[in-house]
Amino acid sequence: MAPRSRILLVDDEVAIQRAVAPLLRSRGYDVEIAGTGAEALRSVAARTPDLVVLDLGLPDVEGTHVCQQIRAKSAVPVIVLSARGSEADKVNALDLGADDYVTKPFGPEELLARIRVALRRLESKDSEDTGVFRAGALTIDYDRRRVVRGDTEIRLTPKEFELLSLLAKNHDRVLTHRAVLKAVWGANAVEQPEHLWTLVAQLRKKIEPDPANPKYLLSEPWVGYRFVTE
Amino acid sequence: MTVMASRGAADRWHVAAAGVALAVVTLTLGLWLRVSNAAIVSSSFLLVVLVVAATSRLWVAVATSVAAMLCLNFFFLPPVGTFSIAEVQNWVVLFVFLAVSLVASNLSAVARARTHEAVGRRDELARLFDLSRDVLQMTDSREALSVLARSVARRFDLEYVAVALPRAGEWDIFEAGARTIALDRRELTKAFASAQTSLEFDAYARTYAGHRTMTVDEQVVRLVPLRVGTKPIGILAAAGREVEAGTLDTLAGVVAIAIERAQFLEERKAGELTRQSEQLKTALLASIGHDLRTPLTAIRIAASNIQAPEIAPDERFGQADLILSEVERLSRLFQNVLEMARIDAGAIATEARWTHPSEIVAAARDQVEQTLREHKVEVRIDPDEPVRLDPRLTASALAHLLENAAQYSPSGSTIGIFSRVTDEGLTIEVRDQGPGIAPADLPRLFDRFYRGAASRTRASGTGMGLWIVRGLLAVEHGRVWVENGTDGGAQFTIVVPVGVREAEPAGSPL
Repeated sequence: MAPRSRILLVDDEVAIQRAVAPLLRSRGYDVEIAGTGAEALRSVAARTPDLVVLDLGLPDVEGTHVCQQIRAKSAVPVIVLSARGSEADKVNALDLGADDYVTKPFGPEELLARIRVALRRLESKDSEDTGVFRAGALTIDYDRRRVVRGDTEIRLTPKEFELLSLLAKNHDRVLTHRAVLKAVWGANAVEQPEHLWTLVAQLRKKIEPDPANPKYLLSEPWVGYRFVTE
Repeated sequence: MTVMASRGAADRWHVAAAGVALAVVTLTLGLWLRVSNAAIVSSSFLLVVLVVAATSRLWVAVATSVAAMLCLNFFFLPPVGTFSIAEVQNWVVLFVFLAVSLVASNLSAVARARTHEAVGRRDELARLFDLSRDVLQMTDSREALSVLARSVARRFDLEYVAVALPRAGEWDIFEAGARTIALDRRELTKAFASAQTSLEFDAYARTYAGHRTMTVDEQVVRLVPLRVGTKPIGILAAAGREVEAGTLDTLAGVVAIAIERAQFLEERKAGELTRQSEQLKTALLASIGHDLRTPLTAIRIAASNIQAPEIAPDERFGQADLILSEVERLSRLFQNVLEMARIDAGAIATEARWTHPSEIVAAARDQVEQTLREHKVEVRIDPDEPVRLDPRLTASALAHLLENAAQYSPSGSTIGIFSRVTDEGLTIEVRDQGPGIAPADLPRLFDRFYRGAASRTRASGTGMGLWIVRGLLAVEHGRVWVENGTDGGAQFTIVVPVGVREAEPAGSPL
């Protein structure tokens, strides 16, 4: 087994610390706890955790600000805990470099699943940039720009292929509408989500076995899209 | 009535004076000076007529003219001592005299009427001005229309004034004045209907048509439509002093504007209230939503930790403990919301009874035992003699202060509870060793959902506690205030009057 992953839990609520830390330890992670944003930043710099679980409501600084600061120094995956119920905070955190989010109140499996995905992506990162990507019956060949489902080749327009490879390269994590628009259409298009809706609908028609109940290309309501591999 | 009486008396006096003047002239010229020249006599009489016309009413002047003519004929024109006239030229003298005196009387009367009207108009303008000022100063919209009716009655010396506004087929009537008159609602409806269907300007009376009169108990009541622009919005009823029709119209215009203004004020107030309650709801939802999620998450995870085979057995106890304390936190939150609703609804009754201050402190500590676990508590009660007050409300208020102190001071620090009895009542101080209260937060600290600038980003705390303290103490006629202690921490003080309700029957059950 690989060395135990180290997770930094940033939350000022003692109750959350007391519940989440045993949960993570029992699943084989090493857990460190920070109660403030400043403590979190010190810990990220000094102890280089493998993953950060960050609550957005911190006593000293805005959680989104902490997120930005972490991202400025390190590529460590960040999973945001948001209790605010407002989509804007989540989207903001994701745009500022967070990898994923869990909304309070959440269950243990939800958090563990997000952590597993984020850590796994970290391990296989290098192998994904080129070559072939497989998810279920779907195969994406980045070099030849070919997509095959089962035995049939799927013909995609250049934009569709661009969108699909973007989501596949970030599989299992949320990409905000804004991030996708920026990557596929450029910075000027971020306020025009209609482009994205149309393109996603086209892409689903081509790659999904049942476009009405997508299996790969899932919507995260009001936040963005997630390409799911499991 | 008194005006009419004094007028009649003045007329009688004028008639008598005119008779005396005529007699004096007749005696002086006829018996003493023995003047017989018709021109001299007639001009002397004319002088009397002019003086009378200038000072008296038209009919007195006319009567004087006729009497003077008869005197001239009887005493001076030959044949003297009879009403017959011998010479034709004397006929001419007689009729010229009569014509001149009548014309002079009439001219004088017209001039006097004009003056009178001008004075009256100036008087009514002044009244209208005063009324407008009253209207502009009207601020409270609840009583506005009654105040308005009173102002009209006072400024125009009317015995009865009513502002009648139609509402859903009924009439809202605001009355003022010394008399009470039962207005006939059907008459109002008729007047209002005619005002709605016709609008016509009467140039002669300088008024819009639509004025009606009705007679109630022999009192003439005038009904004037209240119009904003041309649209009628109600009826003004007035009785008592005669007010000119044009003035009534103007008066009705001012009243209509005042009503519009009052309604506007009321709408604005209602709008303001709605907005405030919307804000309150939003704040409540945000606050509760925030404080529900954390304990729910902790409970959910801790419960599944207990079930999970991966968890070490010695961890399970800690997880169960966590669940218990989070459940207590939820139930505190729930109690706060309930308490807040009861304060809002005015549903908190007090029940005074004899109790020891130490019991109150113990009860309060009991309520927030879990929260105080990380703090040392120092209690000083002097004297611990029974006081009469509502122990539950007082303990509940104290518990909120203790919870507040525990939340905003470092764990391990000391919270002091000091109780004493003063002239004002039972005084309890709660001192903590936290950062104290920022001066900017002091004025709003007891506002609902207000959270200090420094604590706003903290996850716990809803901004309900201190507001509840204030609400509970208000029910007990007590008070609460906060200051920063000399050693830096915050010091909250509550004072509850004791024994004041002894005279009342034992409190109502809750």
